[in-house]
Amino acid sequence: MQKLKANLIEHINSGFRDAVAKDYPNENRLDFYVNKQCIPSILTYAKDRLGYIHLSHIAIVDWLEEGEFELIYIIWSPEEKIKMFVRTRVERENPVMPNIDMIWRQANTYEREFREMYGIQFQGLEAPEEFILEDWQGPPPMRRDFDTEEYANETFFHRPGREDAGDVREEIIKRSREEIPDFAKKYSR
Amino acid sequence: MELFLNILGAIATVILAFIVGMSYGGIVRKITARVQNRKGPPWYQNFIDAYKLYSKTTAIHHGWMHRMGPAFLMVSSVVTLMFVPVLNNGGWFENMNFQGDLIFLLYIMVFGSLGMALGAGQTGNPNSAIGVTRGLSQMVGFEIPWVMALVAMMIQYKTTSITGFIEVQQESGTWLMFSSPFAFIAAVLAMLGMFRYSPFDIVGAPSELASGPVSENGGKYLFTMMSSGSIFTFAKLTLYVDLFMGGANNLLVLLIKTFALYMVPVLYGLVSPRYRTEQAVRYFWGWPLFFGLLAIIYAVIF
Amino acid sequence: MSYDKDSHKIFDFIQNWARKHSIWVLAYGTGCGAIEIPPTMTSRYDAERLGVRGAATPRQADVLLITGYLTTKTLKRVIRVYEQMQDPKYVIGFGSCTINGGMYYDSYNTIKVLDKYLPVDVYINGCMPRPEAVLAGFAKLQQLIAEGKANGAQKYKENLEWYRENQKRISPHWVMPEYNW
Repeated sequence: MQKLKANLIEHINSGFRDAVAKDYPNENRLDFYVNKQCIPSILTYAKDRLGYIHLSHIAIVDWLEEGEFELIYIIWSPEEKIKMFVRTRVERENPVMPNIDMIWRQANTYEREFREMYGIQFQGLEAPEEFILEDWQGPPPMRRDFDTEEYANETFFHRPGREDAGDVREEIIKRSREEIPDFAKKYSR
Repeated sequence: MELFLNILGAIATVILAFIVGMSYGGIVRKITARVQNRKGPPWYQNFIDAYKLYSKTTAIHHGWMHRMGPAFLMVSSVVTLMFVPVLNNGGWFENMNFQGDLIFLLYIMVFGSLGMALGAGQTGNPNSAIGVTRGLSQMVGFEIPWVMALVAMMIQYKTTSITGFIEVQQESGTWLMFSSPFAFIAAVLAMLGMFRYSPFDIVGAPSELASGPVSENGGKYLFTMMSSGSIFTFAKLTLYVDLFMGGANNLLVLLIKTFALYMVPVLYGLVSPRYRTEQAVRYFWGWPLFFGLLAIIYAVIF
Repeated sequence: MSYDKDSHKIFDFIQNWARKHSIWVLAYGTGCGAIEIPPTMTSRYDAERLGVRGAATPRQADVLLITGYLTTKTLKRVIRVYEQMQDPKYVIGFGSCTINGGMYYDSYNTIKVLDKYLPVDVYINGCMPRPEAVLAGFAKLQQLIAEGKANGAQKYKENLEWYRENQKRISPHWVMPEYNW
């Protein structure tokens, strides 16, 4: 497998100079950090030439502190049995990504979800604007700086709680004659 | 005066059929519950349901034909009941009979379903349309052994009147289910489909089709369908009793015989899961058709 | 024809008695509560002995049983289902999520208080309520029906503007069908 991986790194690096490979020695997994403009070409190359014909998943990580999104395209070769992780970064402000749904049609669904949940625009993505959310008015809800509680407080009605709401644990202990375990004490109000 | 009495008798027959059919429905629900190890609703639950449905507002309609659908069903049930002699010696429940009424009944029994199909078609609900196609396919299935059984009986006893069959049985002293067994078997197997209990409840499968053709009908529409269904059940059971089990001389005998016969589809249904449409049709074109053919051969030879 | 108050009362009593003993439930299975309905209906608890029975379509149903949280998307469907039901109709809110949001109190896409959008007759508390609680809820509804107090549909009809306003707040671009019965 190491031979296959070395071969793969060589192939990718011959075409894409700035692709940084990261190897996980005991796993059938290989990472490439690339520029976001290279994504369509590197995926096409991997699919057509190297036999990575299956798009397993597209994952996204919100690096709030660094101001970036990380998109991870996970592709799989049924012959070499190696997972290739193609990672790229895109800025959080007005993120724009190249579209890959002409390479794999199923990428369309992921891209629509990212557009709705994270606000990432994909160039030339042809799909209706609404995907899962209907009549959505707030910011993209899956971003980490989206405060769901605040949004819920603004948007929805809330039933006021009881005035005399308190910690009922003491009463429960008194009735059942059991002790609170130590780990549970820190959760009491 | 005679006409007046006849009309009164007809009304009494319909009321009797309604009460008996509804009670049978309630008893069937009770039996189903007991088989499933439940307590079950009381036997008069169907009357409560019917009254509640009648008292609901019915503010929907999808057009003229949709309104007529339940009425067609009701007309079909009542007309069927009118032509089936309820008791052997007439009396209050003397009905219209003529030579050839069995053939007429064959047509009029389908009439209600066709009217219902038209009504369900106008609602525009896809579930209704699927239910109607399923119902008509199933009808194609069970009508063939049923008609074959009746044709065999007609050939064998050279009469097309139901009273004629009763007379034959009274003269010979044996029930026709013993003297022409194959026709009886074919007819009973066809009855399984006619009553639409499981495994042949493909028309109104609640979890699958949202009760099929009925899905747009609530309130008074559903009340009409429910009561017409009860009347139709009673009429069909009485027809079977008249044809194969020697009729009935008084009400008690009639109730015992119809109830015993009614238990055949009910108990068969309790232990069977639902068929798919093509399986149901294939079922009816298998053994029931074979017995129907056998009945005709038997009738021609003997 | 003179208006006889007592006979009217008797008529009402019979009607309410029939309605009370024949409750056809349209279980709108949102969320986790739907799993509590089968044990309620089947042999262990057997709701059918009280006349409670499942209905397949809103046209035939008396009670809309909302089992669990409602997202803003399902709320639209629930409102449509409710408006297709025929009078008399009742709503049972089932589980904490319909009362105050329950564990989804801070979720961005579930509504918290159901009775701002639909008139709820009976709430069943719990997360999830066990079948005993469900049966207790039905018994409460039966009691309300017998007393003639389960008039949620009347409330909805009279305060339609207010309910519509709240519903519009959730989904402003939704073209709602007219409520005409």
